[in-house]
Amino acid sequence: MSWQGELNKYLASAYKNWIISKRNVFTLFELFFWPMISLLSIGLLTRFLNVGPGMVSFLLVGAIALTILQVAQIDVAYVLLFDMWSKSIKNTFIAPIKSYHLVFGALLFGIVRGSVVFAILVIVSHYLFGFDFLRGGPLPVLIFLAGVFSVAAVIGITVCISILTFGQKADVAAWSLSGLILLVSGIYYPAEVLPPVLQMLARAIPLTYFLEYYRSVFIPGPHNLALGAVLAALYLFVGLILFDRSIERARRTGILLRLSE
Amino acid sequence: MIMADKSVECKGICKSYQRLFGSGTMVLKDISLDIDAAEIFGLLGPNGSGKTTLISIFSTLIYPEQGHLRIMGLDAKRDKDVIRKLINISSAKPNFPWSLTVKENLRHYGMLYGLHGSTLAKTVEDQIDAFELGEYRDMKFEDLSTGLKQRLSLAKAMLNRPRLLFLDEPTTGLDPDMSMKTRLLIQRIHHEQGVSVVLSTHYMPEAEMLCDRIAFLRKGEIVALDTPQNLKNHLGLGERVVVRYVGPIDIAKLEEVPGVLSVTTVSGRAEIVIDRSTENLDRIIKLFSRAKILDISIKEPDLEDVFLELAR
Repeated sequence: MSWQGELNKYLASAYKNWIISKRNVFTLFELFFWPMISLLSIGLLTRFLNVGPGMVSFLLVGAIALTILQVAQIDVAYVLLFDMWSKSIKNTFIAPIKSYHLVFGALLFGIVRGSVVFAILVIVSHYLFGFDFLRGGPLPVLIFLAGVFSVAAVIGITVCISILTFGQKADVAAWSLSGLILLVSGIYYPAEVLPPVLQMLARAIPLTYFLEYYRSVFIPGPHNLALGAVLAALYLFVGLILFDRSIERARRTGILLRLSE
Repeated sequence: MIMADKSVECKGICKSYQRLFGSGTMVLKDISLDIDAAEIFGLLGPNGSGKTTLISIFSTLIYPEQGHLRIMGLDAKRDKDVIRKLINISSAKPNFPWSLTVKENLRHYGMLYGLHGSTLAKTVEDQIDAFELGEYRDMKFEDLSTGLKQRLSLAKAMLNRPRLLFLDEPTTGLDPDMSMKTRLLIQRIHHEQGVSVVLSTHYMPEAEMLCDRIAFLRKGEIVALDTPQNLKNHLGLGERVVVRYVGPIDIAKLEEVPGVLSVTTVSGRAEIVIDRSTENLDRIIKLFSRAKILDISIKEPDLEDVFLELAR
């Protein structure tokens, strides 16, 4: 198969997600309403608590990271959720495709949507709260975004694996997993304040390291970006293998057929 | 191009649907059959007999627990990636992403099959034309009628120019005119493009019109496999002679006539099932000599009769 044909296997998922999103009025909620609620509530909290610029940057970096993570991860999860809700999953898995075609195609669209949300939040946080997110320059921003999007891909893959393992009821994972990330990866507080067991969990989540890296732009402090990058790459690699295995398992158990009926 | 004499070769296929916790339900038991690439093969059987599961296994959507399967001469386990490029399927209850239009759905699935550029655009247009979907091209899937959804499903199944096409109840929900057009189209695809076809159906005329051979499934097992004509001949169903009459007849004597398989009489109407090979119709008619025959008709057994017989 030509490279254009192979490329189109990836783009198929992005194309589907794009069409569905543009026809869904609730996309506006995902892109504008909830991100703004998240940013404004945290920004106003910093005013109420009358915290200094360092703490403002700490909290707003967390709020922005969580918001674009949620937008991008749901896009990856949508690659199966849309098929499951419309009971068309059979048509996807009868085609000669692999898990990485689905994941990276959907992630591409997630990156586009996440970047739109990121741009909006950066502008709004600058004008409303005087926070200059881009102070560190383009490279740290790109590294930070790459980290957030890679974690989003891992969460989206986990949702897909859950659906193929547990069936339709597992779609709740799409909205629950980012809650777990919020709790343990130092979104609104440093991982050090967590109980020891949860600290271990936090240290296993790459987002913790990407947050510490980007916060060090505003509040100089230690970070281990390399470990975060290695963990993100490892989880993505293992996630794709497990996704492929869960597809094979779903073919063995017949759940692929049941999800289409 | 991969050429094979057999489109499907399977031996000892078993399948149960496992639950995450607890035992599974056995839906296919020891299915063995060979399907020639040159034939249109039919799977018939009542609801729950395992037709859809068997087609899903043949199309590599799901895997059997036991047994060996070769599709187009390729090992279904080892060569599944190659097989998926060569086959396609149209489902009994077609479902596609709701908010995508006819054209967008075809484009999306065409992309999944690696079509691109002008080839993708032309293929999508060709299928829209072939299945008379032109005026509905910009209609969302959720707004299509059942028949249009079925046509879209068939159009999608032809996107990758498959060598082997699986059709799960392809005319369900279509009106008689479109059903006939679809059957003719299936014949045309088979004869002109050399596409092997395996279809499941509830409609006996459809099976008789299209299928070279038929496998009857019941409770996950093949209970008969032959040509439609041989199935009718070998099951001993016989011809049905229906006589409307006034006056007395001797039912006991009717039943004694060689070749008479059964006699049923209800208020001046006798239905006599006879083995056509015995050619004793004249003896039967003579037994009505004391009565007045108002009407007589002879009906050959059809697949409906075969279905009812085998589904018992």
